[in-house]
Amino acid sequence: MSILKPLAEKVKNPQMAAILIALAALATAPLFISNEFYLDGFVLVFLWGAFAGAWNILGGYAGMVSLGHNAFFAIGAYTSTLLFLNFGLSPWLGMIVGAMFAALVGVVLGLICFRLRSHYFALATLAFGQVSFIIAINWRSVTQGAEGLALPIEPDLSNMLFAGKLPYVYMGLILFLIVLAVSFAIEHSRLGYYLTAFRENEDAARALGVRTGRVRLIAIAVSAFLSAVTGTFYAQYVVYIDPISVSRLQLSVQVALFAIVGGLASSLGPAIGAIIFVPITILLRAKLGTSLPGLHMIIYATVLILVLLYMPKGIYGTLREKFFPDT
Amino acid sequence: MDLTLFTQLVISGILLGGIYALASIGLTLIFGVMKIVNFAHGEFLMLGMYLSFWLHHYFHMDPYLSILVVIPVFFLIGIVVYRLIIAPTLGAPILTQIFVTVGLSIVIENLALLLWSADFRTITLAYLKAPLILGPFPHLGIEEIIVDIKRLIAFVIGLSISVIFYLVLKYSYTGKVIRATSQDRSTALLMGINIGKVYMLTFGIGIVLVGIAGALMIPIYTVHPFVGFEFVLIMFVVVVLGGLGSIPGAVIAGLFIGVVEIFSSFLIGPSSKQAIYFLVFIAVLVIRPSGLFGIKGEEELEHIEAIG
Repeated sequence: MSILKPLAEKVKNPQMAAILIALAALATAPLFISNEFYLDGFVLVFLWGAFAGAWNILGGYAGMVSLGHNAFFAIGAYTSTLLFLNFGLSPWLGMIVGAMFAALVGVVLGLICFRLRSHYFALATLAFGQVSFIIAINWRSVTQGAEGLALPIEPDLSNMLFAGKLPYVYMGLILFLIVLAVSFAIEHSRLGYYLTAFRENEDAARALGVRTGRVRLIAIAVSAFLSAVTGTFYAQYVVYIDPISVSRLQLSVQVALFAIVGGLASSLGPAIGAIIFVPITILLRAKLGTSLPGLHMIIYATVLILVLLYMPKGIYGTLREKFFPDT
Repeated sequence: MDLTLFTQLVISGILLGGIYALASIGLTLIFGVMKIVNFAHGEFLMLGMYLSFWLHHYFHMDPYLSILVVIPVFFLIGIVVYRLIIAPTLGAPILTQIFVTVGLSIVIENLALLLWSADFRTITLAYLKAPLILGPFPHLGIEEIIVDIKRLIAFVIGLSISVIFYLVLKYSYTGKVIRATSQDRSTALLMGINIGKVYMLTFGIGIVLVGIAGALMIPIYTVHPFVGFEFVLIMFVVVVLGGLGSIPGAVIAGLFIGVVEIFSSFLIGPSSKQAIYFLVFIAVLVIRPSGLFGIKGEEELEHIEAIG
């Protein structure tokens, strides 16, 4: 339980206390809300927060920029949905199957692409993500192509389908916390230090005996696994998937944006990015989506550029430096 | 497949590839000199198409003539973008460099959506409607070959510009300075080359080249705010296949991809073309990531010291 030790130590410091209070507030608030629109907001915050955290394990800690995480998300969504529709397999099991499959695909991708320098890696993952889109569109006999797949509305725990929004809020919260915990564990383990060492200086890391290939394979496997779990959760929540909703490149860009704006290579950064950005997006889209199409995306991307240029550590990194310089 | 059909497909493929080549050389130039992948390149192509479209719409300017407007406007846009967004990220981590241009692409795409709506817009040039018919060539066993004049014009202008640009890069003083910077920026700096100026010039030229491609494409393709995304993926395939940074590589790879696209569309079906690009793309990355004409080792992991 060596992972819990730093956690126990951290609880004593004010930063951790603040985080725990914030999480407790996030967990109890939905109980007092009955408005579906706001509850939907909570689900989406947890969903994108979890996906951004999963992306951050490879993109943040290891510094390997992936533009292909939409493929892992799609693998999760399609695997559980197809297994359920064709074989009646419970999505709980389908989720695990999809996640393991995504992890395997991630390892294969890593074996092929990890020797590439960052720009090439980004381009290779972009192609990889786009291939998932092409497969989802064209493999009609299995995926129904652009028509998409709808889950039958039979609310039941074993089907991972629920009537109200509240169960999804808490499922989302659990997923969000799992990703947060995994990220925290990685950050405070040898794996995290190895990944950071690789990101900062590969040659030095290798010279000190870090097996940079192996640690990155672990990172991509974990990252892909969690992304696929998020994909299944999305499918169960929306009960309809198609190539555009689960496999488009913009998903990868979007989660990277949450992670970058929130703060890369920290467990809380992507979570904070999602907590701040998802509600803003929902509101902007609801208010301006029809009258001024595209404006919410312009604001979005402008914030991304400004953060990259003037606040490269992200919101969380900058705040932490300001208020807790010694942590 | 008889010889007539084969020739027809090859000619169509080469004409298509010429467009891909011109659209891609700016991308490969910017990468070669600055080691930055401009993820917004497709959106600049879209802007080129729009500029040419609006000049035609409001002033009845011929799209081919509009190139003369595109060149200064896009050079200016390139310089402003360089100053505001690219220059501050030159020494930054690669993640920063990638996502500023990704962010820029989102901004441009949605700005176009906001200003000009998602409508599909086309220019029809009355004087270019009839296709050119070559042949028949009885002694070769080839019957009539149909050539789309708009594509032929785009091909000829595009290839001429590529060649002229290549020669300028090869023989002029400025070209030598740009190549020197691309080959070894530390030494170029030591030789007294103003790296910042070279980068600004390079970025400006790269954007001009893609703007010209946009003007040449507007008589052929429909423009809408998301058209850049459709083409940028092909451009990435072309520049990686040709070797990132290599201009002759981009031209040859562009022609090759054009021919592959036409043949695969004909033999397998139009929906297969994207799958084919990416198979080529992934195969290149697996087998020879430096591309056909790239510098070997360029793509391997290694840390370049940042120079501000």
